[in-house]
Amino acid sequence: MFEEGEKMKKIHGPQNILDFTLGNPVMEPPAQLKDELVRLVTSDDPGMHRYMTNSGYEDVRAEIAEFHSQRTGLPFTRDHIVMTVGSAGGMNVVLKSLLDPGNEVIVLTPFFVEFKFYIENHGGVMKLVPTTEDFHLDVGKIEAAITRKTKAIIINSPNNPTGVVYSEKELLDLAAVLHRRREKGQRIFLLSDEAYRKILYDGIVLPDVFNIYEDTISVTSHSKDLALPGERIGYITASPRITNLKPLMDAMIFSNRILGFINAPALMQRLVSRFQKNSVDILDYQKKRDALYNILVEAGLSVVKPMGAFYIFPKSPIPDDIAFVRELQQHRILAVPGVGFGTPGHFRLAYCIPMDVIERSRKHFLELGLRNGKK
Amino acid sequence: MIVSRQIQKLIADQEGWTRRMFEEGLKIKKLYGEENVYDFSLGNPDTEPPRELQKMIAGTLLDPVKGMHRYMTNSGYEEVREEVAGYLEETYGLPFTASNVFMTNGSAGGLNILLKSMLNRGDEVIVPTPFFWEFKNYVVNHGGKLKTVRSKDDFQLDVDRMAAAITPRTRAVLLNSPNNPTGAVYSQKSISDLVALLNSKRSQGQDIYLIADDAYRKLVFDGITLPNLFKAYDLTFSINSHSKDLALPGERIGYIAISPRMPDAGLLVSGLMITQRTLGFVNAPALFQRAVAKFQRTSVDIGEYQRKRDVLYDALMEGGFECVKPQGAFYMFPRSPIADELVFVRMLQQDERIMVVPGRGFGKKGYFRIAYCVPMETIQKSAQGFIRIGKRFIKR
Repeated sequence: MFEEGEKMKKIHGPQNILDFTLGNPVMEPPAQLKDELVRLVTSDDPGMHRYMTNSGYEDVRAEIAEFHSQRTGLPFTRDHIVMTVGSAGGMNVVLKSLLDPGNEVIVLTPFFVEFKFYIENHGGVMKLVPTTEDFHLDVGKIEAAITRKTKAIIINSPNNPTGVVYSEKELLDLAAVLHRRREKGQRIFLLSDEAYRKILYDGIVLPDVFNIYEDTISVTSHSKDLALPGERIGYITASPRITNLKPLMDAMIFSNRILGFINAPALMQRLVSRFQKNSVDILDYQKKRDALYNILVEAGLSVVKPMGAFYIFPKSPIPDDIAFVRELQQHRILAVPGVGFGTPGHFRLAYCIPMDVIERSRKHFLELGLRNGKK
Repeated sequence: MIVSRQIQKLIADQEGWTRRMFEEGLKIKKLYGEENVYDFSLGNPDTEPPRELQKMIAGTLLDPVKGMHRYMTNSGYEEVREEVAGYLEETYGLPFTASNVFMTNGSAGGLNILLKSMLNRGDEVIVPTPFFWEFKNYVVNHGGKLKTVRSKDDFQLDVDRMAAAITPRTRAVLLNSPNNPTGAVYSQKSISDLVALLNSKRSQGQDIYLIADDAYRKLVFDGITLPNLFKAYDLTFSINSHSKDLALPGERIGYIAISPRMPDAGLLVSGLMITQRTLGFVNAPALFQRAVAKFQRTSVDIGEYQRKRDVLYDALMEGGFECVKPQGAFYMFPRSPIADELVFVRMLQQDERIMVVPGRGFGKKGYFRIAYCVPMETIQKSAQGFIRIGKRFIKR
């Protein structure tokens, strides 16, 4: 599929192909952050590029912990934070620390395919559970999928690929299910991938999972909110409400070392600590979402309006999403088939691209000649 | 217990004495003041990156390229890999290209993605001892088994023992020269003998890869040169890091060099692309890829390390210690004057306020490691301590 897209770019020229496949934002980091980076690099402070403790600089972790305490009202300290090589590094560290061979991890479809690798890297088994029609939690199905081997459930909200944000109500329902297992002596960790946590629209607030469920670990990165994906910086936050937390923190710090990360990149740790409340221009993403959503609706596609992240996951007008994505290619639009996210019959568009590409796509989507989501 | 049993076991394997040592060390530092304790336990150099490199980074940031903090291909920037390949071609006299170079998060990242790409469950990796303990964790991470083989008394390779350790499951030999913890540099003879062994296996149909952890490659003394592994053996990988030569350990930057003579190198690179991504590295940090590209021929001051080695080695000799004189890296690995090195290391800590690491941390009891990547002043001030304790225990 990727190669066909490349072929199209060659035939028509890359500027004439509307590429919605990549989650690699075109945004630049905030200007203040760039200034701070220059200041750090020219500061002449000795020892800036040396090793530090595997969990990251103490002052950086303290600053992040303070940010979480303010946000949640929970007593986070630096000992609840491990700085990581982005979310991907963080997820691997958490899963390696938790999983024994054969342990199951519940993942909700549609899902970010990398989760499968992260789980299997460390001997775990991924158990897929579908979400509802509008991509929200199907708590009944989740409860039915839990076995005695279930060690964790991964949620990703705002979600890749749907852009859906889970409400407090549905998260509380999920917590109730997990609590029932807890009463029977089984601890299931809620692993919250918050890579898109600051990219939220229409003024909605992301429910705080730490206050909703005790055994919660969140993993986040500054790839999206500070537009630093290539620099590989993020962190793990473990809830102060986890009982007997110390061995788990020790295990995560140890896993961070032996998986070869050693520590998160030093300079970037210092840089991001002061920008926990900052973000790239979210309104810009919201305008792009609005533009694309309106185009898709106008074109007759059936689509759930995203509340965050920079993805949208319309229904394919024909059941075979691969065939439909091929058809889109004929109209010079590149998209990713839903089957790549474990949910056939849909396709993903990533709109972290220049606005003019979105605007130009209108004509091409309309050419499809759809009505009520059907051919 | 909520923590993975495998991780609990790996932690327990190393925790016992390290934790105790570390805590006693902290106590002593509190008691006497940090400046009165001579800490030789860490391989964390006190050096700064070369001035020109720091200037170059600042220059890049002041005149930024659009998109310079974005993702790039998992193997790293093409122009950076080209630059590194040019240096490798010049160093090894073989036609390296960008496709023979894979940018990584330091050596530790490089070793993990390579081992994951290469190992099937139960495959064996041979490592000469004493060895850097993390090798064990890296191999076990990806379902492999570590097979340790004792080196000779001068810490050169014991190729006969290595031959005896090879089984049909042997997939790779992992070497680290200059060596942590011994400072030994494998001689041309050691390498030639090993290569003869590997080639004879290869002619019998078993391909065994040679993985060289070259983290200390530029830190060699007395003008010696390292044997050219790429010319010696076709199935060679070199794992490089800029932690030591450019003093950037915290930034996690290095690369894998793949022999231009490697058969099926393309398939292996595809494997590395996937493991780099799925293990969570995704790519080597973007800014530092650019930073190191033009500094392949640069290194921190080797002369300074050599002077430190000389001062420390002389003190050990005066104290009567038995020690192989290191030819590279910044470690020394003397024999403990009493059989249980743990006891000796504690005495050194308590009586002389000198902190070192027991040899069992490297799979070799009865020895201890001194990491002398510390200020010269620390070495000079501790010299009398080494001499005193040596004279107490070693009768000549």
